[in-house]
Amino acid sequence: MAQLRQDFAEFEKRQTTILVIGPDNAAAFLKYWQENSLPFIGLPDPEHIVLKSYGQQINLFKFGRMPAQVLVDKNGTARFVHYGHDMTDIPKNSEMLALIDSL
Amino acid sequence: MAQVTLNAPAPEFSLADLTGKTVNLSDFRGKTNVLLVFNRGFM
Repeated sequence: MAQLRQDFAEFEKRQTTILVIGPDNAAAFLKYWQENSLPFIGLPDPEHIVLKSYGQQINLFKFGRMPAQVLVDKNGTARFVHYGHDMTDIPKNSEMLALIDSL
Repeated sequence: MAQVTLNAPAPEFSLADLTGKTVNLSDFRGKTNVLLVFNRGFM
């Protein structure tokens, strides 16, 4: 999250909106957003509706859910999908920005 | 478990943001790309 905040302007420059979806409730989101002054849109999904429809994997052997990222272009088409295998398996901003440039 | 298919329409959704405003994925169509970041939780 801190990594994304760092390059927020670069994503904005490329006309890319960042939506963060998570299993926490609105109060937990709000607290986290305030504590970290995050510039992107936070979407609490405590009922896991979107998390399930996008297939975020639940690893039964480790606590918690794995991170995932999906890049959707202006036509609403999914152009990049990354399902993390562990907590630290998140694509680098430079990779995402290069990908956006190639759309 | 359902997963997103590459180069196919991303599943539409509608969720309330931190201020209670409804955000639909389709709100951004024709306007900006969208990077969806699925967070594992803040714990």
